Amino acid sequence: MNDREEKLSAHGQNDEVRRDILAAIRRHLTASAPFDAVRAEHHAQESGAHAPLAPVAVTHAPVAAPIARFHEALAAVGGHCVVVSDDRAAAETVQQLIEQKQAQRIAVSDAPLVQKVCAQIKSDALVFAQTEPPALFDCDIGITSAQWAVAETGTLVLESDCERHRLSSLVPPVHVAIIEAAQVRQTLGEVLHAINEQGPGGLSRTVTFITGPSRTSDIELTLAIGVHGPGELYVIIIAGEGHD
Amino acid sequence: MNQPTSETFDQNARAALLDPQLRGALRNLAHTFGERRKVAITTVDDWEGLRERARAIKDETLAHLDKYLVDFADNAARAGAQIHWARDGAEACALVIRLLHERQATQVVKSKSMATEEIHLNKALEAAGLAPVETDLGEWIIQLADETPSHIVVPAIHKSKRQIAELFAEKIGIEPTDDVAVLTGAARRILRQRFVEAEAGISGVNFGVAETGTFLILENEGNARLTTSLPKMHIALMGIEKIIPRLVDLDVFLKLLPRSGTGQRLTSYQSLITGVKRSPEDEGPEEVHIILMDNGRSAMLGHPVTRQSLACIRCGACLNACPVYQQIGGHAYGSVYPGPIGAVITPQLIGIGKAAQLPYASSLCGACREVCPVKIDIPELLLHLRAEVAEGTARGTAEQTRPVKHKLVEHLIFRLYAFAWSRPMLYEWGARLLRVLQRPVVRDGRIGKASSVMAKLAPPLGAWTAWRDARPFAPRTFREQWRDGLADKK
Repeated sequence: MNDREEKLSAHGQNDEVRRDILAAIRRHLTASAPFDAVRAEHHAQESGAHAPLAPVAVTHAPVAAPIARFHEALAAVGGHCVVVSDDRAAAETVQQLIEQKQAQRIAVSDAPLVQKVCAQIKSDALVFAQTEPPALFDCDIGITSAQWAVAETGTLVLESDCERHRLSSLVPPVHVAIIEAAQVRQTLGEVLHAINEQGPGGLSRTVTFITGPSRTSDIELTLAIGVHGPGELYVIIIAGEGHD
Repeated sequence: MNQPTSETFDQNARAALLDPQLRGALRNLAHTFGERRKVAITTVDDWEGLRERARAIKDETLAHLDKYLVDFADNAARAGAQIHWARDGAEACALVIRLLHERQATQVVKSKSMATEEIHLNKALEAAGLAPVETDLGEWIIQLADETPSHIVVPAIHKSKRQIAELFAEKIGIEPTDDVAVLTGAARRILRQRFVEAEAGISGVNFGVAETGTFLILENEGNARLTTSLPKMHIALMGIEKIIPRLVDLDVFLKLLPRSGTGQRLTSYQSLITGVKRSPEDEGPEEVHIILMDNGRSAMLGHPVTRQSLACIRCGACLNACPVYQQIGGHAYGSVYPGPIGAVITPQLIGIGKAAQLPYASSLCGACREVCPVKIDIPELLLHLRAEVAEGTARGTAEQTRPVKHKLVEHLIFRLYAFAWSRPMLYEWGARLLRVLQRPVVRDGRIGKASSVMAKLAPPLGAWTAWRDARPFAPRTFREQWRDGLADKK
């Protein structure tokens, strides 16, 4: 058999296995029907009418200032949140971080906000825009934006269709994310609904939720930070004039 | 490696009870995760409502699993993922090997996945010369030690810091240290190199969304993100029960799973992956393969009681809460799925004959049912499986291993008891006779270890008094007292 034939036969076998598994599922579900009926009757007697499946309610909880809430939630998982008034101030904050970490190499995502802020940074550090391994592995800081932030849990949500974020937010030991205040939502449910409303095909190939730095408790349940991903996470929120 | 099997559960458990280091680790686990969970579940408004909701979603999905599974496969394929089907573990292993061969990939990294543990994928890959590197810290530790996981969430919970330090000193040549941060740093350094070289990454799946074809991986370390982002090929192994209907259903499960498992509001990372990248310039693998595996799952759909097993989201809460697991740990179960959920899943996966003792590895206290985020009635499942074992023993189809063999003696005793109980005269005279016969074994008004004659004279009865005293028969029975005028004293 040549390669092509081999692949075709593998394909045929795959179809056969798929049919088999689906048939097994249907066969067992059918066999279960009489038991299901008895159980349903039992439940009905016990708890009255069976509640129909209602859609998930999105809770619009009392809106305690989302940015303050995000700040608190992120701090609880060991991340840092800095609220600034404009992108110039954001650039200054990033610059301070670069100096503080003595960073030589910086990986940045292609988000417009990141480009805009980084253009205002005065630093000798090398900036890598389209980083690939192995160069990426030598970077000291990764800078990205995020498409959403969740106040309730201190979570960043990054969508690959909006931003090349997968490696720059993951590989360097320090991750800095720059977002605007308008991107902060109260709950994860709100963000999931917003993502869902983009419709099929609108969904990014990869959506990443990030809540605090990388952590593990695999040795005697002792917390250790930065095992594979970044050990430090800074979120800079540009809140505009008159922010709290 | 010489790991115990489910067939010898009784002996495994006895051995585990004699291991003080293990029991210390388990106390730490039960306390730490137990307390964290208690706090975490107060951070949602309606925990009970969420559990109900999650179970309703799972029930709905399982009742129409054929439809949702096809939706998932079609939508994932539309987004560019390649879908494969495997009836059992052997087929799944063969598929992974074939895919790696086709890509000519030999450097393989892996993130934590119970499904791959279940089918012993690593052994199969090693045999094919494709040994993968486990990258989750706990999984890497037990891979270095050539052991199996002893917990669903924290696989190396049975190992002490000292043992891990010695293991690292031996296998990777670092100075032994008590500092967890140093141990973790060494793992990061070495595994980074493996990630750079990796040609393929293998992961599990926590949830598969039917409506979009998206699959999710939850983690804290970032190794699953590296495994699914860096290599050119990604293979995800997914049990067919991982399906949920809609993307927004994740709101429910993402609230339940981390809180139940580790007491976190959310784990550090969730990756939602839909198909393969759109253009070559995008980040991520060139090929994404999803293997949909049955391996005994479809058979669990055949009865509403066993079907509950498929609602499990592998959080590990029932292990942490179980008074049996807390004493004996995971290895005694002889299965990658230990604890209460393991005691019900394992017999269904490997056959009740090979795990006949596991449904008895419980006091039926119900702690597992209390903490289960998807409200699986594990005690009900245990009883269901016990009935199967008992019927199997009666038919002679289940293997006659301890304690199943004891059940035969038990059966005889209860038959005798029932015979006497239903004949008042025989019952009364029997009681009087036993009152006399018990005299040699009663000490200080008790039948217990102090007398020890019991154990020597009658082994099956001796088992009763090995750990606790029994009450002797009263000098006068209730019926005698009644006849002598107890009724009139009222």
